[in-house]
Amino acid sequence: MAPNQKAVLEMRDAAKAFGGVQALKGAELTLYPGEIHALLGENGAGKSTLLKALAGVHKIDSGSITLNGKQFEQGSTRAARDQGIAVIYQEPSLFPDLTLAENVFVGRQLQKGKTVDWQGMEKESRKLFEQLGVNLDPTIRARGLSIADQQIVEIAKALSTQATVIVMDEPTAALSSKEVDRLFKVARNLEAQNCAVVFVSHRLDEVFALCSRITVMRDGATVGSAPTSEMNEAKVIKLMVGREISELYPKLEAKLGEVVLKVEDLGLAGQFANINFEVRAGEIVGLAGLVGSGRSEVVRAIFGIDKYDKGSVWLNGKKLKPGNPSAHMVAGMALVPEDRRQQGLFMSSSINKNSAVTMLKRISKLFIVRQKDEGKLASDWGKILQLKYATGHDPVDRLSGGNQQKVVLAKWLATEPKLLIVDEPTRGIDVGTKSEVHRLLSQKAQEGMAIVMVSSELPEVMGMADRILVMREGRMVGEFDRKQATAEKIIAVATGASGK
Amino acid sequence: MKNLIQKTLKVREIPVFLGLLIVVLITGTANPAFFTLSGFQDITLGVAVVATLAVAQTLVIVMKHIDLSVGSTIGFSAYLIGDASSKGHGFWYCMALALGLGLVVGAVNGYLVAYLKLPSLVVTLATLYIVRGLFNEIAGGNTITEDMVPKAINFMGLNTFFGIPYLFLVAVILMLVVGFIMKRLRPARDLYAIGSNLAAAELVGIPVARRVFLAFLATGAVSGLAGAVLLARFNTAAANSGNGLELSVVAACVVGGVAIAGGIGTVYGAVIGAVLLQAITMALGALGVPQFWQLTVNGILLIAAISLDRYLSTRVKPTSIMGTN
Repeated sequence: MAPNQKAVLEMRDAAKAFGGVQALKGAELTLYPGEIHALLGENGAGKSTLLKALAGVHKIDSGSITLNGKQFEQGSTRAARDQGIAVIYQEPSLFPDLTLAENVFVGRQLQKGKTVDWQGMEKESRKLFEQLGVNLDPTIRARGLSIADQQIVEIAKALSTQATVIVMDEPTAALSSKEVDRLFKVARNLEAQNCAVVFVSHRLDEVFALCSRITVMRDGATVGSAPTSEMNEAKVIKLMVGREISELYPKLEAKLGEVVLKVEDLGLAGQFANINFEVRAGEIVGLAGLVGSGRSEVVRAIFGIDKYDKGSVWLNGKKLKPGNPSAHMVAGMALVPEDRRQQGLFMSSSINKNSAVTMLKRISKLFIVRQKDEGKLASDWGKILQLKYATGHDPVDRLSGGNQQKVVLAKWLATEPKLLIVDEPTRGIDVGTKSEVHRLLSQKAQEGMAIVMVSSELPEVMGMADRILVMREGRMVGEFDRKQATAEKIIAVATGASGK
Repeated sequence: MKNLIQKTLKVREIPVFLGLLIVVLITGTANPAFFTLSGFQDITLGVAVVATLAVAQTLVIVMKHIDLSVGSTIGFSAYLIGDASSKGHGFWYCMALALGLGLVVGAVNGYLVAYLKLPSLVVTLATLYIVRGLFNEIAGGNTITEDMVPKAINFMGLNTFFGIPYLFLVAVILMLVVGFIMKRLRPARDLYAIGSNLAAAELVGIPVARRVFLAFLATGAVSGLAGAVLLARFNTAAANSGNGLELSVVAACVVGGVAIAGGIGTVYGAVIGAVLLQAITMALGALGVPQFWQLTVNGILLIAAISLDRYLSTRVKPTSIMGTN
């Protein structure tokens, strides 16, 4: 990584918009051969879009990408690979039914004459695995391979294409510490072979241990890039957070009442452990942490969707049985899930049906749902939520993302829950709708509802929550009062930065 | 040596093959007539049609698709061959007609599934009806009789090559050719990749739509040509020829280890599956079991096959950090 060396990849002033959302604007990245380069940024900072541009999935709207001195041909995954860029996604995409050897060479199997050369592929992949210092049998099928081993196969695949740039998107997110060590060894190995390795991670300790350069992104732009020796954790965090937390969030003061939710020593093997907290009536508790830190798993367990093997959940002083969400609903709990398309809505059903689905008992007579009541219930809520739609009979998937989210909220608020759990309530919706959702949550809290809010957007958590709990790797690692919380403190706890 | 045994046991086709051996041994012991040359010829002749179609079906099932239109195509094609021949057209003309029909049906299936992204189950169910409907309209109440069948085809149906029925040889040769292609040619390997992980296949730049289209086209072509096998086998064809064959074909593939979930299976397995089902039918007959039981047994075998698959796939242990040990 001599600075006077020629760059292998240069991205200049890249911009990319999706609809009205500007995902990249002024993104820059320079990679040198033989370096491990960290790409950092909060969720939504534009890292994924940048990676996908390099992978050939997206085309940038303006700006330039130069690879090995030539203009990079964009917009085709195959072309990206042929030009020497390999991207290893967080979830590797192997073919479970094919052998490892074939997985390495898939789509461009080695040939002897005009037929596939199986022995050659096995020999070559064995060589690649050895070169990476791992002991994998190329003749076994990929099904059942651990994520760590799948990544190794992906890296072998990258090497077999003579890739000069290897991008790893949060490769350590799902790995145990032993596996992380092995991955580091492999990455250093690649570095020594003069590859440029891009390493995306939220774990700052890893970044400082492994990488020789750091580039930080925020709001779609590159806000800093320097050798690791010139950086420290505080500096990086400051760059990542950057902006002032605006007073966009209409949080109203609410009187705290009785304890509504009490979670005692909740645990599920391999997912989370020792989760303890309380939520009072009128209180909004924010659950912060990185994606994959176990927040969604915890709230799913609290709501009774997933079982837990330790601890207990109490609602209004009553202990709840695990694994029975409908009993939790009756008891007064509601969960607005993270992925509304998958878990929150019946996409092709009408707005009316979706809004009323949690209330079927109340509006049915002898198991027949009264259509009129269904429509009235939906339109009442539609008014409160300022929902924009043509008729209640329209299917939900015709609505915008923000309005879909409102329908999900309507559906659950209609049950008049005592405890509302919202998981990423404003992901992917526009600023206007966002503040409407915030206004509504705040208003409900003031009326005495207890609210647990999972969110990866720090400003949102800090703007809305009375109290912030931080999770990392399935544990509660921090608790902050509204007044003491700063973005730097939360990120430091969430990433396990040691305060260097 | 131990390694070799372990490797052999891992081959998916082995359990089916062992099942076949057991059926043959038990039946043969109970009824020695089963062990004779004519017993062998009964099974192999009886299985020729289904085995031929099962080879073609494997192409689409490994892609996680299905082609239910093959029964209508093969029946219609058999009729067309007989009809054309009776009108004085030569053998090659008849075969070209059969191939043409198969290509048209395959192209329609392939286009709708590959390019319009319609589900193959529904598309081929629809073409099953459409082809059968056209067939009924054209054939009406006519029946192709033995004297209308082209000589060459008639000869193939009635004769053997060193004791092996020609029709079974046709199926075996097709199996060997397609088997070689699926193992050794890149485009055919793509079919496995598509069936195993469609999203990843697109990500690595496999031309998915083109491959899916070509596989349906090939399946259609074989089904069309196989009209000759059907005609040779029965020396007759009418508006109901080939009715329901598609289900026997899918059953043979599944029993033979071609996973309906895609990505795995070989034409060898499909053919062995077909032979096993046929052998069981014959065996139950030879053992004097009432005929309706054979369907029940086929059903049980299907469930056994997919259960075994499920068991084997859940039994795979995740590898440890140090790779496989």
